[in-house]
Amino acid sequence: MNLILFTFIVLLGFTSYYFGRKKAYTIQSSNKRLTALPQFYGYYLAIWCAIPAFIIFSLWAIFEPTIVKLLVLSDYSNQGYLDDELNLIYEKTKSLSRGQFTGEITPFIEASAEKYLSLRSIAQSSKAVIVLSIIIASVAYAYKRISSNSRTREPVEKFLNAVLFTASLAAILTTVGIVFSLIFQTIDFFKVIPLFDFVFGTHWYPAKAFVRDSSEALDPSMYSDTFGAVPIFAGTFFIAFIAMCVAIPIGLMSGIYLAEYASSKVRQYAKPLIEILAGIPTVVYGFFAALTVGPFLKELGTSMGLEVSAESALAAGGVMGIMIIPFISSLSDDVITSVPQSLRDGSYAMGATKSETIKRVIFPAALPGIVGSILLGVSRAIGETMIVVMASGLAANLTLNPLESTSTITAQIVVILIGDQAFGDPKTQAAFALGMSLFLVTLCLNIVALRVVKKYREKYE
Amino acid sequence: MIKIKAKNVDVFYGKKQALYNIGLDIEENQVTALIGPSGCGKSTFLRCLNRMNDVIDICSVKGEILINDFNINDKSCDVVRLREKIGMVFQKPNPFPKTVYENISYGPTIHGMAQSKQEMDEIVETSLKKAALWEEVKDRLHEPGTGLSGGQQQRLCIARAISVRPEVILMDEPCSALDPIATAQIEELIDELKKEHTIIIVTHSMAQAARVSQNTGFFHLGHLIEHGSTDKIFKNPDNTKTQDYITGRFG
Repeated sequence: MNLILFTFIVLLGFTSYYFGRKKAYTIQSSNKRLTALPQFYGYYLAIWCAIPAFIIFSLWAIFEPTIVKLLVLSDYSNQGYLDDELNLIYEKTKSLSRGQFTGEITPFIEASAEKYLSLRSIAQSSKAVIVLSIIIASVAYAYKRISSNSRTREPVEKFLNAVLFTASLAAILTTVGIVFSLIFQTIDFFKVIPLFDFVFGTHWYPAKAFVRDSSEALDPSMYSDTFGAVPIFAGTFFIAFIAMCVAIPIGLMSGIYLAEYASSKVRQYAKPLIEILAGIPTVVYGFFAALTVGPFLKELGTSMGLEVSAESALAAGGVMGIMIIPFISSLSDDVITSVPQSLRDGSYAMGATKSETIKRVIFPAALPGIVGSILLGVSRAIGETMIVVMASGLAANLTLNPLESTSTITAQIVVILIGDQAFGDPKTQAAFALGMSLFLVTLCLNIVALRVVKKYREKYE
Repeated sequence: MIKIKAKNVDVFYGKKQALYNIGLDIEENQVTALIGPSGCGKSTFLRCLNRMNDVIDICSVKGEILINDFNINDKSCDVVRLREKIGMVFQKPNPFPKTVYENISYGPTIHGMAQSKQEMDEIVETSLKKAALWEEVKDRLHEPGTGLSGGQQQRLCIARAISVRPEVILMDEPCSALDPIATAQIEELIDELKKEHTIIIVTHSMAQAARVSQNTGFFHLGHLIEHGSTDKIFKNPDNTKTQDYITGRFG
C-alpha cells in the first residue's frame, strides 16, 4: 500500500514536469515572453506536486504507529496496568492481527486486535485521501502560478539550495550526535574511574572487569590499576609510527616518480596498480600480516638470534604502512602534478637538473598538499583496527620493542565490545572513553594539519 | 661577430613537423627579434637554442645549432652548462614561490657560483640592479617574489636569468602579460642588457620588434621566410609575405 502510494507520487511528479513544460511551450506559442526556460516550469510544477505530498507521507509514517497504539490501549487505560504490561498487550495484539500469535487468546486481546486492524485500514485509506488531496491542491496552486507566467526560476533555485543545505546539515548533525553519544557514556565512565588513573595509569587490563558478578555492588576501588590507558596510547602511536616509517618514504618517492619521472605510458599503468592497494579490504591485510609477515619475521628473527613474538608491532605496523602507501603516493602525485609547468620550465631554464628542480622548487610548492596527505595517512594509521587485532595481539604491553606484541586503542575497543555487553558497566563505558580520546586525538591532528597547510599556502600563493 | 649559427634545423612534435630547415645566424651583443603569426614556430625555435624542447616528450630536434662553434645538439653537450650560458625569460612571469632573494640566488646556488654569503649578496644585488629592480625591492628581499606586481615579477625573472651571467638571453614574448608602462621598462632594460648579452626575443608586437631589435627574422608556418637587419625587414622586405605581415594585412 505504502509502496503503491509512493510510486504514485513519484509518477505524478514526473508527469507534472512534462505537463508544466508543455504549459510553458503553450505560453510561448501565444507570443508571450517566458520568465524562465521551459524546463523550470516543469521543475516548479513537479516540486509542488511531489514535495508537500512526501512531507505529509513521511509525517504520517512517523506518527501513525504512536497514535494507533494510543487508541488501542485507551481501552486498558484505567485498569491499572503497568507500562511494561501495556507494551506486552500491544505486542500480543499486533502479532494476533498478523495471525502469528501462538499463546492463549483472550477475548480482550481479540477485541483489541480487531480494533487495531480497523484503525490501520482507516489510517491507510485516510492517508491516501489526504495525500491525494494535498497533491491536487498544491498542483492547482502551482499550475495557476505557471499559467499567469509568474517567476519559476527563483523558487526552483531556492529549492535546490534548500536540498543541498539539508544534505550538509544531515552530515553535521550526525557528527554532533556521535559526539554526544560518546560524551555521556564517557562522563559516566569517569564517574567511576578517575580521569587521572585513565590518563596516567600504566596498566590496562579490562579483563579484570569482566569477572565481576553483575549482582555485586559497584566498587570503584577494585578497578584501580585496570583502566590505565598509557600502554594502549603508546601502542597506538608506536604502531602508527612504524606504519608511517614505511608509508612516508615509499609513498612519497613513488608519488614523485609517477609525477615527474615516469613516462606517460608507465604512469598510465602504474597508478591504477598502486591504487589497487587502496581497494584491498583491511581484513585481507590483517591476515596477510598475521599469517605471512608475522611468522616470516619470527623466523627471520630467530635465525638472527633475536626473540620475536609471532604477533609483533613490527608486522602490524609494517603491513599498515603498506596499506597507507597508495594514499600518500596517489595524493602527492596529484599535488606535484598540479604544480604549474611554468615553475618547472623556469628552473630547467636556469640549468637545474630534474632532482634539483624537484627538491628546490616543486617539493616546497607542493608541500601543503604533501603534508595534508601525510596527516591523512596518520589518521588512517591511528584509526586502523583490523590489522592490529589480527597481527599484533590484544595484550596491552607497555613496550617500545617492535618485536613484541602491543595493542592499540581501536583494537581494545573491539576487545571490550565483542560478545555480551552490560551497559552502564565500566568495562563497556571504557570503550566510549577510548573512542572519545581517539576522536580528540584525530581532531587535534586535523586541526594541526589545517594550520600547517594554511600557513604554507599563505607563504606560497 | 656571429654568436649562434643554426643550420638545417627541423623540429617535430610527434609526427607533425613544426619547423622546416631553419638556417639563421645571430649576432653577438645585438637584439634579434623573431616575429610571425601565432603557431608559426618562432617560440619552438627559441626553445631549441637552450634545448628546452627536451622537456617535451614527443618533441625531436634535428640539424645543427652552433653556439660559439659548438653544436649543442651533439650528444657531448652538457645541458646543465648550456642552460647556464643561455638564460631564458618566459611569456608569463614565473617567479618561484620563494623570496625575492631566493629567486635570484637559485641559479648561482645550483651552479656553485658563490663561495660565501657575502658573494651571494653581491650577485643578488648586481643582478637586481641590472634588471632595474633593486630600488623597488631592496627593502623586501625576504618577501615572496610572487607578491610583486606583474612588471616587477617579470624583471625579477630577468634578474634571475642574468644572475648566472649568461652569454645569451632568450625572451619568449616577455611583455605580453604586462601593461604599457611595464613594457616600456622592460624594453629599456633589453637595450641596456645587450651590452653584455646577446638577446633573442620572440614578440607579437611589430612596434616592439622595431624598437628594440637590430635584426629580425620572420617566421611563417614553420619556415623562416626572411631575416636580416630590422631596418631592412621593416622598410624594404624582399618577400611579399613579410611585407603583408608587417603592414598588418594578415596575422
